[in-house]
Amino acid sequence: MPHRTSRWSWLTAGLGLVFSVPVVSLLVLAFSAQHGVWSHLASTVLPSYLTNTLLLVLGVGVGTFVIGVGAGWLVAMQEFPGRRVLEWALLLPMAFPGYVLAIVYVEVFEYAGPVQALLRELFGWSSPRDYWFPDIASVGGAVFLLSLALYPYVYLLARNAFTQQASVLLDASRMLGHPSRKAFWEVALPQARPAIIVGISLALMETLADFGTVQLLAVPTFTTGIYHTWFGTNNAPGAAQLALALLGGVTLLFVLERWSRRQQRFHTRSTATKFPLRHPCPGIRGWLTLLAGALPLLLGFVLPALFLLGWALHSWERLPLDRFVDDASHSLLLAAVTAGLAVVLGVALGYGMRLCRQRLVRVLIRIVSLGYAIPGPVVALGLLIPLAQLDQRINPWLEQQFGMGAAYLLSGTLFILIAAYLTRFLALAFGTTESGLAHITPSMDETSRTLGKSTSQTLYSVHVPLLRGSLLTALLLVFVDVMKELPATLMLRPFNFNTLATRAYGYASDEMLEPAALWCLAIVVVGLTPVVLLNRQLRQAHTRQETPSHRLMPVPDLPEAAPAPEASHA
Amino acid sequence: MLECHRLSKQYGNVLAVRDMSLTLEGPDFLSVLGPSGCGKSTLLRLVAGLEHPDSGEVRQDGTTLNGNGKFVPPEKRHFGMVFQDFALFPHMTVAENIAYGIRGLKRDRQKRVVELLDLVSLPHLSDQMPHQISGGEQQRVALARSLAPQPQLILMDEPFSNLDHQLRVQLRQEIHGILKHEGVPTILVTHDQSEAITFSDQMVLMNRGTLVQSGTPMEVYQQPSSLWAATFVGEANQLPVYWDQGKLHSSLGIVTLPPEVGEPAATLLVRPENLRLQAANSGGVRGVVRQVEFRGASQSIEVQLESGEVVRITMPPQTACAPEEAVSIHLDGFLCYGAAGQLLSSPKGLME
Repeated sequence: MPHRTSRWSWLTAGLGLVFSVPVVSLLVLAFSAQHGVWSHLASTVLPSYLTNTLLLVLGVGVGTFVIGVGAGWLVAMQEFPGRRVLEWALLLPMAFPGYVLAIVYVEVFEYAGPVQALLRELFGWSSPRDYWFPDIASVGGAVFLLSLALYPYVYLLARNAFTQQASVLLDASRMLGHPSRKAFWEVALPQARPAIIVGISLALMETLADFGTVQLLAVPTFTTGIYHTWFGTNNAPGAAQLALALLGGVTLLFVLERWSRRQQRFHTRSTATKFPLRHPCPGIRGWLTLLAGALPLLLGFVLPALFLLGWALHSWERLPLDRFVDDASHSLLLAAVTAGLAVVLGVALGYGMRLCRQRLVRVLIRIVSLGYAIPGPVVALGLLIPLAQLDQRINPWLEQQFGMGAAYLLSGTLFILIAAYLTRFLALAFGTTESGLAHITPSMDETSRTLGKSTSQTLYSVHVPLLRGSLLTALLLVFVDVMKELPATLMLRPFNFNTLATRAYGYASDEMLEPAALWCLAIVVVGLTPVVLLNRQLRQAHTRQETPSHRLMPVPDLPEAAPAPEASHA
Repeated sequence: MLECHRLSKQYGNVLAVRDMSLTLEGPDFLSVLGPSGCGKSTLLRLVAGLEHPDSGEVRQDGTTLNGNGKFVPPEKRHFGMVFQDFALFPHMTVAENIAYGIRGLKRDRQKRVVELLDLVSLPHLSDQMPHQISGGEQQRVALARSLAPQPQLILMDEPFSNLDHQLRVQLRQEIHGILKHEGVPTILVTHDQSEAITFSDQMVLMNRGTLVQSGTPMEVYQQPSSLWAATFVGEANQLPVYWDQGKLHSSLGIVTLPPEVGEPAATLLVRPENLRLQAANSGGVRGVVRQVEFRGASQSIEVQLESGEVVRITMPPQTACAPEEAVSIHLDGFLCYGAAGQLLSSPKGLME
């Protein structure tokens, strides 16, 4: 057995090394800088970057927790009208990247926008001095928009954790004399904590990596700072140093996440599904529950989508459609290729992690998972420099071998773009796989191994089928994220190559709102497809496991963690 | 006193519990026995208040818990419950688990936790996490946790089925002792007949959501009300019979029916211990030993009768016999069942 394990170690270690290239090159760059860059940064822009970024992280953390966990709990544990629709509809805001929300809400809330116009109309105000209106271009505004855009991560994970939890524990709590409210805080929430922390840390890493939203809302943070330091003042080492400071914060978040996960290591046996889980909410309470559950959906999806639709229809005849088709096909291609690769690599890494005990391998894998938090501009910086150098080495060799060269074979093509996406989003696939794997008890591995299967066969015939739900989730998450990715694409794309995201951002920066609306809408629509797909697949997984009296014995949404429920209860 | 009156509960179109009534008095132990899927867990959850019955009532000491539009939620019923997989909160220590249901000052709660840990003889485990302790220990912690709030009734749902056999027997006795000592009435749901027989003062036999028979374990064993009950509780030989010239013939010979059997009997039921094996040609019915299963304290012998039917006989272990040996069989007692499987006679069957 040991030699098998070591094959997986080599593979995972190799992957780990490849994807740690950007971080290593950043380190080299940052420490090669001349002295004084730091002190200059510290005395000028650093304080405001720091406060804004911290406030943002704090606010989005609280925001996504409240929205995601609250909605997850309602959908998993309460029965109310419209619950089944809400169950999937609450994922829809995933299709809205923060910067698209920013484009919409800036327009909606600005002085000439519909909201303020309506208020003036209603109250007879005539100028900005007559009333106070919250400025969307502020840290608060950014927190609001990012929470709306990012809560689905927390929601999806929390909801699954709640549906998969052993409902018998909630019963036990009630039998010990505590109302179900207390069971939420003391039993359900601690049980779901690993999943919720994973969800929030994903959301926070997105927040730290966010570029488009804060740029459009004019909130200076580390990401925009890195961008301006590099592109604006052409100071790559300074940008690298800012990036490293940001990575420091991210690492803290990571350590926290890992630590709390370790505190929670246990396998819950799931005899959960024998008896109904949800409490009925009759009458008016049911409708109020629906309203509360639907609020994030309305603000994060329905209203902005309606605004975009309105603007796009309004400008339909003036839109350059062939340009649109080009951009869309670019985006789709990149997203599909990256998502496929990421899932395959993510499974390999997750399984390698399960098999390997070597410290070095684990550290390398952690570096890969850190990729998610590396902001787009930083990945761009970290990849462009080593790849450009590699190109310089390859080019003469190519000319010698084939008589023709390619000066930017790696650094000027889609290769670098996909590499950048993978660096950033592989962690998503890996994290989802890993948490799915954590639900499969090690005795499954051992059973399969003792039945004569190799590690790879075990992975293929035991884990992958059990992980189906997780892998779909991973595929969806990566696909949508590539569609939405803005800053790295902006900086690494080949000359004159546009995706939906870069074009929409370009239009919005030029304050060309109406054409931007169509591109935004397309990003949202394409981002919707996997959401719908995921939901359908989850539902199918659902029906396959259902017994005749299925409605009362809900099976967990993702089949990954559900050992077949005891079939005896006819 | 706990009374359930005509409880029914339906899931979709599956009637899990149908018209179930039962009464539990004083500090008695009641076990609900039935095959898996018979609705016994649902019944227990109805008593606990974890399920709402479609109809019927649950009353305790005259107070209605369910029924007449009233519903007391489980947390207000003061019943303790021990679940099949123990349902210990995995994120709390043993002591925290036990303390979870206790109200009052921290000092008093701690004192009660110590008491309970002593009661289940696990004081050394108070700071362990549930996954660090063995199944038997988890079981005892689960019991201690359910006893902690001083419940009026303990409900146990297949509490021993996750343990291995030896531990199960030992723990059963131990928990029986603890509960008797605490004087808490208990309802135990199980599919294991030996568990039901040894654990309880009263037994309720359930099948397909309905009551089959209730009584003391001895009554149920000695006078099973139907063939189904007879075969579910204990071992039983079933032999077809036919009438000829006013007498009842079976492969065990001609049988005189007790006078209370008014209608034609269709089946003779004989417990293995009511058959006696003797040397061949000592009278009785002749047969050949087919198989001998040594069980330690007894042996179970399979004998093929001349008619071709096979019966099982329990004999003391010292009885010498080997496969293919010719033997005689004597009948000491039997029960008669009608064509619908209903009991016709009392257990004092006589041989002609």
